[in-house]
Amino acid sequence: MEQKDTKQVLKVENLSLIIDEKKILTDISFEIKPEEVLAIIGPNGSGKSMLLKTLVGINIPTSGTITWAPETKVGYLPQRFQVDHYLPMTIEEFLSLKKNPKYSLSEVFSLIKIEKGWRKKNLAHLSSGQLQKILLAWAILDKPEILLFDEPMENVDIAGQESIYRLLHELQETLHVALIIVSHDLNLVYRYADQVLCLNQKMLCYGAPYEALTEQKIKELFDTHTLFHHTH
Amino acid sequence: MTDYFIYTLISGAFVAVASGLIGSFLVLKKMTLMSDALSHVALPGIALGVIFKFEPIIGGLIFLFLSILLIWRIENKTKLATESITGVLFVTALAIGSILISETDLLEAFFGSVENISSIQLLIQTIIALGIIGIVAKNFKSLMLVSIAPDLTYSEKIARTKLELLLLVLIALTISIGIGFVGVLLMSALSIIPAVTARNLSRNLKMYVWWSMCIATISLLGGIIVSYFTRSINPGVATVFISTFFFLISLFRMRK
Repeated sequence: MEQKDTKQVLKVENLSLIIDEKKILTDISFEIKPEEVLAIIGPNGSGKSMLLKTLVGINIPTSGTITWAPETKVGYLPQRFQVDHYLPMTIEEFLSLKKNPKYSLSEVFSLIKIEKGWRKKNLAHLSSGQLQKILLAWAILDKPEILLFDEPMENVDIAGQESIYRLLHELQETLHVALIIVSHDLNLVYRYADQVLCLNQKMLCYGAPYEALTEQKIKELFDTHTLFHHTH
Repeated sequence: MTDYFIYTLISGAFVAVASGLIGSFLVLKKMTLMSDALSHVALPGIALGVIFKFEPIIGGLIFLFLSILLIWRIENKTKLATESITGVLFVTALAIGSILISETDLLEAFFGSVENISSIQLLIQTIIALGIIGIVAKNFKSLMLVSIAPDLTYSEKIARTKLELLLLVLIALTISIGIGFVGVLLMSALSIIPAVTARNLSRNLKMYVWWSMCIATISLLGGIIVSYFTRSINPGVATVFISTFFFLISLFRMRK
């Protein structure tokens, strides 16, 4: 990690995405350095998930460039990961599908703070919050340089969500990964993020949270109803 | 029992293992109806083989390959719904094949046969079956991942479209080796029913894949034997009954 402290893990320049003649993303530029945390916030339908999907290659950008540092391994946690109710697969079997793992299962289990007994648990029997933890285990198995986390909008309880963020934060510090979090929760941004990118098809703000995220920008981003709430 | 019948059973066992194995991916990837429809497309190829006196399996293979290339292109290059296109295409192929083939041969093409399979076909089937098993064994993890969680393949730098093409090729190969025994209409008895049954019985992936291969093998060998000794029931029909019997049992033992 030391040698590329000044280099970016990821550099995005003038990225635009048009699908079926609909502008999804327009002229997005940002960069991430090693171990940095970038929060992407914006209302529903602002293109947050689409941006992540474009970064991992699910969507092909209409214009602009996405440059990953050479050999960058990316851990991606999609917003929706549904497992067929009858999928006959244990957690252990699922995680063994990962290519070139750098950690053993027990190492990953202790990093993610799940019990060893979970090995034989069936994937189809997990709650969506538990499934998300397993996805996180999947994502860090090959020691990625960066994690892309797309916040689930449904089916995950607040407490579960809170604990997954705490976990992400811890992992980010112990594994020294960079992190992109897609979220609509502003508290999260102030607490964990080094950089914030406000998205509503276009980039409305970009920079350190307390500088970039002015009251005006928040209003602009979320229209009138701001999601900013003081819980702590 | 003649030596030839023993060879038929050996070839049948390899064909069934390959079918059960591929079926286990089809069920997880929810491609069962597609593969069922795809098997119909082999009929014109078989018909051409019968008419121009070459191995029907070769004709079937050519038609299957042309169709999967078409499906793959449609899926990747256009916004057309694959399901509707395949629906139209395969029914048409079935109709064309039915005109080309004589009535007596048609029954066997539809429901399979034991006596009509030549020694060359037995050999080709066995080799292709071994090839399928080998390719799957080598690419098991990637094929499984693209079947259960295609979105995760991207960050793994696994080429998803290539893998999906590989899976289609494997499906086409599996159909081509199975239709001699069970016919173009009943191919799903050999790949889909065993896998669905196995899913009902299994707690984990390993069990699931093994059960699928076992049930396919028992069903097909049973079907071949029944057909051989009764001489009036097509092997495809007997195989369907046997595999469906296992499926019904599995419903009672279904694991939650």
